[in-house]
Amino acid sequence: MIKLINVSKIYDKNVIALNNINLKFKEGETIILKGVSGSGKSTILSLIAGLVKPTTGSVLIDKKKISKIPDHFASSFRQEHIGFIFQKYNLINNLSVEENILLPLLPLNLKKIEHQKRVQEVLELFNIEEKRFALVKNLSGGQQQRCAIARANINNPKIILADEPTANLDEKLSLEFIEILKNLKSQQKTIIIATHDPLFFELDFVDRIIQVKNGEIIYDIES
Amino acid sequence: MSLQQIFKLFSLTLFLSATLFAYPQITQNIKDKKIYPMGQKIYKSKCKEKDFTNFKTYNSLYNTLNKEKACGDLSKKNVEILSVYLWDIKLHNSTSLEKLVVTKDEKCQVCGMFLHNYPSWVSRINYPKDETYNFDGMKCMFKFYFNNKKGITDILVQDYYTLKTIDARSSYFVVGSDVYGPMGHELVPFNDKKSANIFLLEHKGKKVYFFDEITEHMVRSLGH
Amino acid sequence: MKLQNIWFVVLATKINFYLLEYSLKYISRYKYKNIFIVLIMSTLVALLASTFFLSNAMKSEYNKLISNYPDIVVTNQQALRDTTINENSSYKILEIKGVSNVIPRVWGEYYFLNANKKFTILGKDEYEMYSNPLLNENLNLTKDSMVVSLNVKRILEDSYYDDYFNFIKADGNVKKMLITSVLEKSTLINGELLIIMNKESAKEIFEYSKNEVTDFGVSVANKNEIPFIAAKIKTIFPSAKITLKEDLKVHYENIYNLRSGFFLTVFIISFFTFFIIIYDKATGLNSEQRHEIGILKALGWRVGDVLNTKLYEGIIISLLSYILGIGLAFIYVYVMKAPYLKKIFLNNYSLISNYNINFSIDYETLALLFFLSVPIYIAATIIPSWRVATLEADEVMR
Repeated sequence: MIKLINVSKIYDKNVIALNNINLKFKEGETIILKGVSGSGKSTILSLIAGLVKPTTGSVLIDKKKISKIPDHFASSFRQEHIGFIFQKYNLINNLSVEENILLPLLPLNLKKIEHQKRVQEVLELFNIEEKRFALVKNLSGGQQQRCAIARANINNPKIILADEPTANLDEKLSLEFIEILKNLKSQQKTIIIATHDPLFFELDFVDRIIQVKNGEIIYDIES
Repeated sequence: MSLQQIFKLFSLTLFLSATLFAYPQITQNIKDKKIYPMGQKIYKSKCKEKDFTNFKTYNSLYNTLNKEKACGDLSKKNVEILSVYLWDIKLHNSTSLEKLVVTKDEKCQVCGMFLHNYPSWVSRINYPKDETYNFDGMKCMFKFYFNNKKGITDILVQDYYTLKTIDARSSYFVVGSDVYGPMGHELVPFNDKKSANIFLLEHKGKKVYFFDEITEHMVRSLGH
Repeated sequence: MKLQNIWFVVLATKINFYLLEYSLKYISRYKYKNIFIVLIMSTLVALLASTFFLSNAMKSEYNKLISNYPDIVVTNQQALRDTTINENSSYKILEIKGVSNVIPRVWGEYYFLNANKKFTILGKDEYEMYSNPLLNENLNLTKDSMVVSLNVKRILEDSYYDDYFNFIKADGNVKKMLITSVLEKSTLINGELLIIMNKESAKEIFEYSKNEVTDFGVSVANKNEIPFIAAKIKTIFPSAKITLKEDLKVHYENIYNLRSGFFLTVFIISFFTFFIIIYDKATGLNSEQRHEIGILKALGWRVGDVLNTKLYEGIIISLLSYILGIGLAFIYVYVMKAPYLKKIFLNNYSLISNYNINFSIDYETLALLFFLSVPIYIAATIIPSWRVATLEADEVMR
């Protein structure tokens, strides 16, 4: 259960990203945040992930006020519960696919066998097993995206956040991505996607579409 | 010539010849510092363990070495050095006391300080059956002494100037000088009164005491 | 930076080998820069360490040499120039309480024209006790024989003097001296051109009169008394020059003192070079590196984890440089015997022409160089990352 209560986010030069919004997300819901760039949708994702703190108001996940906890715990929480797929993927170019995927697990000091097991799972699941040892900089756009998705799933998070996931993809790859989303939805994960790609607005497995404009919620409809 | 004149001439000749080979005038200082060490070295290297204790006069000893070359070819100066050494040693037959050596771990019996840092201040009290105690300085030694007088065989300290081991019970001590031991103000030991007096003047000491003049009160008033 | 952040900073309790591996890969991703840093830092450490090692080795050799000198040397002077002294005056000094021995020494230099070299001649009496153990050995010297050091033997052989040598006296006459044996290298402390002969022969060569000697070597039993005895000697011989062994030590220390020109130059250069490296590291990371830290934060890494990797990175680089530098210095000084550096030291400062360099571990220098380089480098690596890692990750990634 994700709640945003009276949340406003103002950046230094009096740039109002979000203006007193209230939102509630149920577990297992698939939500589209619709809006142009700069509308504030990416900020909502960042708030849920705990990457930023709201200027006013609070963000609660499963009754935990993640907007108020210290950075140390926020990071741990993020590691455990959230998988974030960035618009620019944010992979480390000079590392291999496997190394990138394993990054979130490194601080936990798990046994090597555990690492191997989980990596194998996501490589198969997201269809990039044959590129396992290739350096990310040598991959195509679609392959990089699948790597980013694999990384976001390595810790089996309850919440998947994606920021403009199809911005750099052609139609074929976009459809592939949607297939993956279906798969994730079937695992009862809460999926929130910020996008202005119309491809997402007609999907049947999407539960809600929320329009964001100038930091405010315009409408919030069940589809 | 009259009988008197002949007698005078004869005694003069006798006197002269006697002084020719007479025991030379050297101060004890020079003897200790130069003559004895050199004489010992000459004896060790040239005399092949010969025994020289049977001579009745200095001159006869000198002659054996000089004319008969009992220790080989030596310069006149070296013969004299050797003769004085042998004569004095035979006469005095002094054996020097052992050097007070301590190991790295040994501590003062009274104050517990390590002794090897101040080797020139080490003192020792011996009891029968190899029972022995070391101290760093005279203060500690005296403190122990006043409480454990029974059965002492000897008390050994080091003369300040020569650092030779001497018997404390026949030594002199200077109090109130500007020379500090490892425990601060000290009694400074000397083999003879002359050395003690020279030290007193030079190092602004207050008084010279013989061993048995020293009291417990005196030692305590020197502080810790 | 919030106070809580300092709390969780570096989890130094356990080594996380995954993070260590990450650090190693990170270092190899910036391969050339890090190789450059290691090279520079190890060179600096090697330079400084060599300088310290060498000067310490020389200092200990010098102290060994000095330890054989008499506690006080009394040299007569006339018009403030060194001159000879009458042997019999030594008795006055012997009378002083505390003086354990006075040696009327005969020694000096002899100029050998053919080879353009100066020989040092030491006169030795057979039965005197000297403070220098070399002179206390039994050398079997007769009136016409002498013992020479190896380098002297070679020089003489080059001039076709194999078994003997002719000393030319001031009046033009010649004194022939037979070479009976050669001093082993191990007994010599420095590379002086040494000749040891009977005192009388030395006197003859120097044309001293019967009671003339070069100077007095005074030994004092209780070292505490040395300044007092020196003062007493001064009153007995007002025109004499009194040299204390302690003064020689201080004199030497001043020369090899860290203030002297060469050391100063080396230190300044090292300091500035090191400073440049640290400054470069400490003024922050480039955008790529900041971005990476932001990513890691977004993936759930805590500030402590990020700093841990930086800690490993810092340790690896600086420790590697340190060990390399020290290793190089050891080899340069103790194995190769410090070729060019030694010449610099000797030419500028030495009274003595050559030194043996004996192996010894100088813990002070090792510790000094360690604490000057390693912690500072580690700090310079961690601190900018600390700043970045505590920012809100979102900011870093935009």
